[in-house]
Amino acid sequence: MLTVSHLSKQFNGQPVLRDISLTLAQGEVLAVLGRSGCGKTTLLKILAGIETADAGTLELHGQDLLPAPPNERQMVYLYQEPLLFPHLSVFENVAFGLRIRKVKEAEIKQQVTELLAELELSEHARKSPHQLSGGQRQRVSFGRALIIRPRLLLLDEPFGNLDAQTRAAMQELFGRVSRQHHITSIFVTHDSREALTVGSRLGYLERGSLTSFASVADFVADPRTNIAAELSFWENIRQTANPTSTPA
Amino acid sequence: MRSKLLTAFLILLFALPFALLGLLAVGEGWRFPAALPPAYSLEPLRGLVAGGNGLLAGLGKSLLLASAVAVLATVGGFVVARAVVGARRPGRWTALSYLPYALPPVLLAVLIQPFIIRMHLSGSVGGVLLGLLLLALPFATLLLGSFWSQQATEYEQLARTLGCTPGQALRRVLLPLAAPLLRTTLVQTFLLAWFDFGLTNVLSVGKVRTLTVQVFTYVGEANAPLAAVASLLLVLPPLLLLLANKSALLRKP
Repeated sequence: MLTVSHLSKQFNGQPVLRDISLTLAQGEVLAVLGRSGCGKTTLLKILAGIETADAGTLELHGQDLLPAPPNERQMVYLYQEPLLFPHLSVFENVAFGLRIRKVKEAEIKQQVTELLAELELSEHARKSPHQLSGGQRQRVSFGRALIIRPRLLLLDEPFGNLDAQTRAAMQELFGRVSRQHHITSIFVTHDSREALTVGSRLGYLERGSLTSFASVADFVADPRTNIAAELSFWENIRQTANPTSTPA
Repeated sequence: MRSKLLTAFLILLFALPFALLGLLAVGEGWRFPAALPPAYSLEPLRGLVAGGNGLLAGLGKSLLLASAVAVLATVGGFVVARAVVGARRPGRWTALSYLPYALPPVLLAVLIQPFIIRMHLSGSVGGVLLGLLLLALPFATLLLGSFWSQQATEYEQLARTLGCTPGQALRRVLLPLAAPLLRTTLVQTFLLAWFDFGLTNVLSVGKVRTLTVQVFTYVGEANAPLAAVASLLLVLPPLLLLLANKSALLRKP
């Protein structure tokens, strides 16, 4: 269980996060919707340990995480860019976290081979990152994070640079693998559709303040998520294109 | 056809001084207007092997100085460039890095000479090394500054969340990522130190006779064969270095 209490952060006197509190149970995916500059990235970086908080507490399974350096938190931060290591092959990129942990060679081979198969990347194992497509790179990046069995996965608009079709495929893959491996994660996005697709819990971050929603209906009804307005827009389009039809 | 002619012309233009150096080194009694030397002798080359004229010692000193400058400037430049990027006002530090180039090296040497004397390093290899580092370190800092982009920081942060200590992130991620640029910096700072004459000549006060300083001495003495042999020695290591690092130096951005 992740518990964040009264987390605050300022940059040059400007508040970026204001009194953030949230809890997240094992296996839950909290999708946080927010516009650019709302503090999403700062929140994830504080959780990952690569940014410090001004105030507040952060606990995972009862352990105070704030004094722990990033390498001891077992929380992987995934950027919008896959950031694959260009000097390593696909196999070695995925094996990276295991090699750091000095896992035995035979075990590395077995774990990486299995994960690559699960991510449909087996045939690309020996390739260099530059030989992959955008979606394949993002899958490798996902596999590199998954292999160390992170206690919390932090995803900062990871599919933002992908085309619509690849993005949908990645969302489906993320959902499937998350359920299968029972991964706890916080997924920030500025796309309400993506938030609804991947999230088992939903939140909205605006000017550093987080609103958690008890249900999908509450999330949809909140005017800040813009979902009601979008539904109305598509309804108008549908009626303009086909005036005789009536809503189902 | 035109491009082939141009290539041949450029190769000829590049190779001609080396051919001339070779002829000067082994030619005897070569006077104007003769197109080629009337006789050839390996005496100057034998002299080189005999070591009486100090050419080999000069070569050794040049190699030692240039290698030390290259390694220290590259390592230091990598660290300083990162500090500059992370500073509150990076622009100010970058501007300061250009300061050593506002003066000709000889003038810089004259200005720092009093400090070198007070440190009891005048006329020593250490003094020349310090002077050359004043030129090479800012150069390496400016060259390596381009590596420390936002993306390098993101790579480092990602490595930390994947379980790397700061040292592991440096060894396993940052250094391999920076390797091509580090190689380029090593070569460039080596060449900068290798070919320096003005600063080395002033700071060495005639005691640290690097190969470049010796070439100028022989030219001044009108000792053409020895100057040619020294020049051939002078161009050999950089040529080998450039050939060995061809791929790194000619890499596409």
